[in-house]
Amino acid sequence: MKGYTGKILLVDLGTGESEVQAVDDAVYENLLSGVGLGAWYLYRNIPAGADPLGPDNILGFTSGLLTGTGSVMTGRWMAVCKSPLTGGWGDSNCGGSLAPAIKHCGFDAIFFRGISPRPVYAYVDNKGVQLRDASACWGLDAVESEERLVAECWAAKKPAVAAIGPAAERLSLISGISNDLGRYAARSGVGAVMGSKRLKALVLAGTKAIRGEDPEAVKNLSKAYSRTMRLVNMPAFLKGAVLPLMGAALGAVKVAYSLDGMVSAMMFKRWGTAMNSTYGMTNGDAPLKNWGGSNADYSFKYYHHLNPDRVLARESRKYHCYSCVLGCGGVCDIKDLGKGEYAHTHKPEYETIMAFGGLMMNKNLDSIFYINELMNRAGFDTISAAGAVAFAIECYENGILSKEDTGGLELRWGDSEAIIALLRMMIAREGLGDLLADGVKRAAERIGKGSERYAVHVGGQELPMHDPKIDPMLGVTYAADPTPGRHTTSGGLYYSTSFLWTRVSWLPRFKIHPKAEDYEPSERGALENVAMTSFKMLIDGAGACYYAMLTGVPHFRIFEYLNAATGWTKSPDEYMEIGKRIQTLRQLFGIKQGYDPRKVRIHDRAAGRPPLKDGHNKGLFLRTEEMIPYYWKAWGWDEASGIPTEATLRGLGLDELLAEEAVHA
Amino acid sequence: MPKASPSFDYGTCMACRACVDACPFSCLEDRKTGLERYNKAFPEMARPEKCTGCGLCAAACPVDAIAMLPSPAPGA
Repeated sequence: MKGYTGKILLVDLGTGESEVQAVDDAVYENLLSGVGLGAWYLYRNIPAGADPLGPDNILGFTSGLLTGTGSVMTGRWMAVCKSPLTGGWGDSNCGGSLAPAIKHCGFDAIFFRGISPRPVYAYVDNKGVQLRDASACWGLDAVESEERLVAECWAAKKPAVAAIGPAAERLSLISGISNDLGRYAARSGVGAVMGSKRLKALVLAGTKAIRGEDPEAVKNLSKAYSRTMRLVNMPAFLKGAVLPLMGAALGAVKVAYSLDGMVSAMMFKRWGTAMNSTYGMTNGDAPLKNWGGSNADYSFKYYHHLNPDRVLARESRKYHCYSCVLGCGGVCDIKDLGKGEYAHTHKPEYETIMAFGGLMMNKNLDSIFYINELMNRAGFDTISAAGAVAFAIECYENGILSKEDTGGLELRWGDSEAIIALLRMMIAREGLGDLLADGVKRAAERIGKGSERYAVHVGGQELPMHDPKIDPMLGVTYAADPTPGRHTTSGGLYYSTSFLWTRVSWLPRFKIHPKAEDYEPSERGALENVAMTSFKMLIDGAGACYYAMLTGVPHFRIFEYLNAATGWTKSPDEYMEIGKRIQTLRQLFGIKQGYDPRKVRIHDRAAGRPPLKDGHNKGLFLRTEEMIPYYWKAWGWDEASGIPTEATLRGLGLDELLAEEAVHA
Repeated sequence: MPKASPSFDYGTCMACRACVDACPFSCLEDRKTGLERYNKAFPEMARPEKCTGCGLCAAACPVDAIAMLPSPAPGA
């Protein structure tokens, strides 16, 4: 075996029929597995103009090429579909336990099309797939559903379960898919697609072996990485209270530098992503008060409540996704919160802490823990749900929404009780909650009255908690990636720790002391963005973790891993070509579906139009519109339209890969 | 021959759950805590009666932290 199974499972929920399809080696050699395999299948099989919530959309669950081969940090799975939020390519990445379970069933990916006439769950084991009645689960939250299905389906091996909650059942466009009791594939509206198919859950109970070509070589790479990971630790005397100072110091440095990626790993080991909740506040990373405020508004008297040591105070143990040697997750006790209805929650991620903290001027950390579990169970993307609440608060504060509109709620900055009440309305799709449950773009369209100026999104996707004004490469990615408004694809910080320039022949050496003009729109900046994005596509094709990516290629030796697992002898340049191919295919998917990249514009607030008047990012603004043509050209896409050129498609071999007849058509 | 069962070297184990996932009978669980500063949850045998001694957990371990050793005799 070369790490992959060479098979995909196709299920038509409308007819109840299924088939197993063999996938040619050429697909893996050109696109890997994971997001690449998903893009290849969806591009050829979703008709142009398909309704994202209709039977023609296809929802795929893909594993990674390296998953299960003895590699570490490679337990990520991807949900892929046409996004109902943006109308273009949709994908969402998640850890937990599902990725190896897909391969233990004998498949690299499982694709669902059609709409079931009744709620079902798909049970897959070594023998194949069964669609089983899910009426007893329909209406249960995602955690309850998983617990119930594990108990119901546990024969020999404990099954892995991906499930949706009530938000996705009610087709909220900002809903996601859960596994491992609240780990989320949350973005792109993938939950709504699953809900539209009346597919409550995917239950995987296979036990087939996964093997790479050279298991010993794979293990040797794992041992080396694990040794380093074991050795990097934050000194015990450095407490969470020091992080704002570190953020301020690093944020004040006027040069770019390349830090060893293991520095971030040691912080993640102790605090998880919560490490950024105060660090990001002082270095300009965190957006505050619905992107209209700054750290002058959400000052120390607020943000010290988000000290990551306070987050750790509720952590009863660490949580690792499958094959993770870092362990950024945690299980937290929350039975003293609310009415005591929840015993535990996954440790809130930075995105959740900042979204329900600084973005809405909330300093009540306990409320954030409670909201985290409320959202995980309902099945909302916490970034988008928080964006919707912050939007509503600002509309209320400015008289666009009245008390009558809010069902009697006084929506004020930082009022955690009102925030929770509004979230409950969103879960139930009641009143204003019904409008907000489809995200800020649609809510603003329905509310009107100039509310769009408070609806911070790009292309329909609410923005994550990273301000691109301090990272123009991130700004271009927000605006011009096929999945707009996402922080996990590319950015200047990620590039600086990747050390890609040490392995990729066409990359210039990293500039440690850039001048101001290095932040101007340029071919060099575009090339670095292309490199970082291509690398991320490799990571997602391999099923690797974003935090492994951040440790950089000197530590996380993905090129060597892929060669050892597959038996290939590809060079880093050849692998980067695969990353380019995947990204171009994602772009091509959107174009086929009518997604017009020229119409996607970064929201004024995120771009600094007008610039903030105080705080770390005072006076900063982005020139994204000038940078995007360079970016598209660097991919080999038309610099005016963002459409991949025929020469590029031929050069990448995509014309041949996409030529086959559609299987499902 | 006595049946073999997994023995964990917690000084090498990275708590990555690869062994927990590899076991076809879900004999292992990541629930052993208190071993180090981060309070990670390490694997341990949770359902010994299900273990067949197949060694798939040891084969799956990316850092070779599992040795298959003869099980102690009942009552030993």
